[in-house]
Amino acid sequence: MAEDSTTKSLSRSYLFAFLGLLMLALTLFVIWDDEYGLRPWKKYQTQYKELKRVQLENDYQHALVEFDSAGGSQKLAELEIKLKEAEEIFQSPENQNKYNTLKSSLEEVQEALSKNQNQLQRYRGELLETEYFYIKNQNSEDKAKMQELQNKIDNVDGRRKRLLEQEESLKESIMTFTSGIEELRAQIQNLKSPLEEKKERLAKLDDVPLEIKQIHINDVGKADRCESCHIGINDVEQVSDEQPFTKHPASFIYLKHHQSGEYGCTFCHRGQGRATTSIEKAHGNVKHWDEPMYEGDMTQTSCLTCHSDVKGLRGAEYINNSTELFKKYGCYGCHKISGYEGLREIGPVLTEVGSKTNYSWMVEWLLDPKSYFKTARMPKFFFTKQEAESIADYLFSMTRTVRQDEDYEAVEIDWDLADKGKNIWSQSRCNLCHVTGGRGGNHIKMYAPDLSEVGTKVNKEWLFNWIKDPKKYFPETKMPRFRFSDDEIHALVEYIMSEYIDDDYEPTYAEPEPIALESIENGKRLIQKYGCYGCHELQGMEEMTQVAPLLRQQGISFLRKDEMGEKIGTELSSIGSKPVDLLDFGKLKKLIPHDRLSYLKQKLRAPRSFRDNLLMPDFQLTEDEVNQLSAILYGFTDAHVPARYVVPSQHELYQLAGAEEFKFSGDFEKLVEDVKCTNCHPIKGIGADYAPDLSIAGSKLQETWIKRFLGSPDVIRPLIQQMPNLGLAQGSITMPRFNLGKEEVLSETNKSDIDIVLNYFQQELVSKDIPKKVPELESVPLDEQISLGKKLYDDKGCMACHQIGMDGGAVGPNLSDIGNRLNEGFIFVYLKDPKRFKPDVVEPNYNLSERERIYLTNYLMTLKLDSN
Amino acid sequence: MRDLMDKVKKNVIWKSIFRRDYKENVRDRAVAIFGNVFLHLHPVQVRESAVKLRYTWGMGGITFLAFIVLVITGVVLMFYYHPSVDQAYDDIKDLEYQVPYGVILRNLHRWAAHFMVIVVMIHMFRVFMTGSYKAPRQFNWVIGVILLVLTLLLSFTGYLTPWDQLGYWAIVVGTNMGAATPLLGFEGPFSEYFGITAYNDVRFALLGGTQVGGNALLRSYIWHCVALPLLSIILMFVHFWRVRKDGGISRPQ
Repeated sequence: MAEDSTTKSLSRSYLFAFLGLLMLALTLFVIWDDEYGLRPWKKYQTQYKELKRVQLENDYQHALVEFDSAGGSQKLAELEIKLKEAEEIFQSPENQNKYNTLKSSLEEVQEALSKNQNQLQRYRGELLETEYFYIKNQNSEDKAKMQELQNKIDNVDGRRKRLLEQEESLKESIMTFTSGIEELRAQIQNLKSPLEEKKERLAKLDDVPLEIKQIHINDVGKADRCESCHIGINDVEQVSDEQPFTKHPASFIYLKHHQSGEYGCTFCHRGQGRATTSIEKAHGNVKHWDEPMYEGDMTQTSCLTCHSDVKGLRGAEYINNSTELFKKYGCYGCHKISGYEGLREIGPVLTEVGSKTNYSWMVEWLLDPKSYFKTARMPKFFFTKQEAESIADYLFSMTRTVRQDEDYEAVEIDWDLADKGKNIWSQSRCNLCHVTGGRGGNHIKMYAPDLSEVGTKVNKEWLFNWIKDPKKYFPETKMPRFRFSDDEIHALVEYIMSEYIDDDYEPTYAEPEPIALESIENGKRLIQKYGCYGCHELQGMEEMTQVAPLLRQQGISFLRKDEMGEKIGTELSSIGSKPVDLLDFGKLKKLIPHDRLSYLKQKLRAPRSFRDNLLMPDFQLTEDEVNQLSAILYGFTDAHVPARYVVPSQHELYQLAGAEEFKFSGDFEKLVEDVKCTNCHPIKGIGADYAPDLSIAGSKLQETWIKRFLGSPDVIRPLIQQMPNLGLAQGSITMPRFNLGKEEVLSETNKSDIDIVLNYFQQELVSKDIPKKVPELESVPLDEQISLGKKLYDDKGCMACHQIGMDGGAVGPNLSDIGNRLNEGFIFVYLKDPKRFKPDVVEPNYNLSERERIYLTNYLMTLKLDSN
Repeated sequence: MRDLMDKVKKNVIWKSIFRRDYKENVRDRAVAIFGNVFLHLHPVQVRESAVKLRYTWGMGGITFLAFIVLVITGVVLMFYYHPSVDQAYDDIKDLEYQVPYGVILRNLHRWAAHFMVIVVMIHMFRVFMTGSYKAPRQFNWVIGVILLVLTLLLSFTGYLTPWDQLGYWAIVVGTNMGAATPLLGFEGPFSEYFGITAYNDVRFALLGGTQVGGNALLRSYIWHCVALPLLSIILMFVHFWRVRKDGGISRPQ
């Protein structure tokens, strides 16, 4: 305790000073970091300003040169001299004297007016007051006073009117002195203003502050600050093609319909809209941010958030193709996805496949479908040969008792008949959908099997029955029923069985071999395990087969409906927002990037690579297909958007309105079902867009032409319009000959096919906006109208795209026979605005006047080929 | 220079604040400490051995410093934060991306919080190892233990405020532990004898419901920003006062 008795003082000033300085340095760093380090957008905005300055400067210089070359400066100088002269005249003492006198008298008048006004107000006030007393007291004195006041008011008011007239005339006289000068000034201003505007924009650039640009959307809690860096996104002309200075691509579609103030950026692009401190953070490419930014085509996946239907939606082509691809592969067969319920099973019915195909073909097909033809939709299941045989056994056992291949060697070919068949094959345009020998299959949106080797797959009897009535075997097939006679079918079958065969074919199962019961049981188990019924109908046929009772006696039963109800795949309704942590990367955990997109792509590329014993088959997709499919899978989210963003599909609109959806009716419905018109033609929103839209065919086409065309179709449109990517010879595609109107009669009404179509066209597929006739012009004789029309046709350069006879381009339809084909009323309306009927049509709108349209229509109606 | 100093010092305002002149001597130093509301808790003089860092490590004082930093930054943070489910997370993001000095502000609060928990532990360790919990300081030890619990609770309640996955699950787990506490939680032992259900147990009290939602966020916010700091401040001053009254800061005997 002794040490404590003395008091000591200690100083730590050096340590304190050192720490103080350290603190200061840190503080300075924090200030710098907050001002620049954490605000990289300041740098971008500065750079953008410089780029913009260059752009505006160029713009200004360019305008200046143009102004000079157009003699602008000379004109300006002249005007200025004139102005000076005028001003000099105005300034001369004599004129000035007159001007000043006028002005001072105007002032006097105006002063008098204002006094007058005061007086008037006072009298009126008094009048009101007196009126009040009069009403209250009913005093005759007041009455007299009121009269007096009224007189005064009239008097003053009369004076006022005279003064006003005086004022007006004085003003006019003054104007005569100055009007010339004013006009000259206005002219100079007009001349200079475009230039000055540009100059002003340049000067104003300096006033633009560096600041965070934010789009705040309250009801979805979004605050997108993307434009802080992407400062030129709304530019009409971009300052640079480097990021982040570019403008939005195709903004006339995307931004026009989704104004950034209403939608922001992350609505479609995702990413982290609030982040401003680094590119990675803003784009959401950081750990724990679930939604990395979408770029390029992938962005279209967001269309699905609000648009229930992207078919025909401009700017959503990629996602629309993805949707079609998704449907083409029938992913919904195994996976439950909301919005894809109750769609048709994409594979053929298999209950009677034993009567259709060759046994060894079936086994080969099961082992690897793409080895038979490479456009096969059926995926590879990696079966062993024994497994494939078991499945084949199960399927064949519904109609047969033995395994055995067809003896194709023994099939006799009638070559004359085959020759006839070849003709029918080409008239029926079989190659439009079916590929043979690598050719055909132009209708890309329609999947049909490759027939190159079909002659060693099926048998004659089945093929005959199939062509005769495809729906009998496969009710939901897309194959049309051509109205062939039996003889024609025989010829066609003969041709197919002789032409499209596998030359190297050798029967593997030449000798009959009874189907083993264990194998059937095994096949049944495999079918259940892999869920073949997701795509193929194969139940409910127990009673109908000859073999089944026998098998049943032996204790074997076929799969019942309730044994194959479930979809075996994972539900995909919200796969696009499934947390990454819930995705099972299995064996590939360390090998591929740990994000949703990489997972989906890997799953599509090699479905069983994550673990052993996975069930999903390999579709052998191309990389493009993988990208497209992952785009649509990304679009299946559980995102909820406010109702104002949602765009219902046509179907939903009908539902909302409580209205019946458009459906075909009567005989026409049956006909469409039979001939599959909507495989190619869109009609009022139903069907593919491969052939011309028939929604208003009744208003558009002439009756006689429809009849003739359906009887024997020929080329109207060059190929290029339908299949821009194929580069096939032009004119090689026409509608197949369905043999409509031949002896066949569809229903009790005893009408021929053609009459049914015609009737329906004229009654249902008409537009009330299209008149039957062109309005008549009495003032101009028809001959003259026609020649004026021809002149217009030449002047507007129509032949650049359209062909008449042998002259003209081949972009638009050939017009040689248009007078026989189209109704004049339709042409007349169509010319007014071509885009009205087909939004993506190439034809420009020439803004023709009504008179011009009449001339042109009348001219076009004279273009007729006399084929009959 | 002198004139200037005189001008500054010899007027009513200066005198009303500082009352008297200051000369560098023992008496004036003592008077300065006495006369200052913030310093008068501190003894005017301390023994030399008590100032030695190697004995006390200064951890108690450093804990208090961390607490002061937390209060200051915490108050500023409150200007930028809404304790609502819709806005909380976005507010935190805005602190990072948009609020001037938001990053340093938030991180100072966070670092200081971690720091306080660490130093308070070390402080306790030192007190234990030097036997400073013994008489006459038993009561202050108890106060200290309560302050430790308050510190941890402050950390825990602050954890939920950003409303992110980390905080969310921490609170889920933490309050479920509460639910499994004997007597207090409905899943704990003996709860059935006392009529404890999911709707009247400690978890319900903490969350303002049975799930981590808006009420839980609001409750943790109030605890974090108002109730617990007030309690801590009161107990801290008792703690400091008792340091003096129980024989000054502990030192080698």
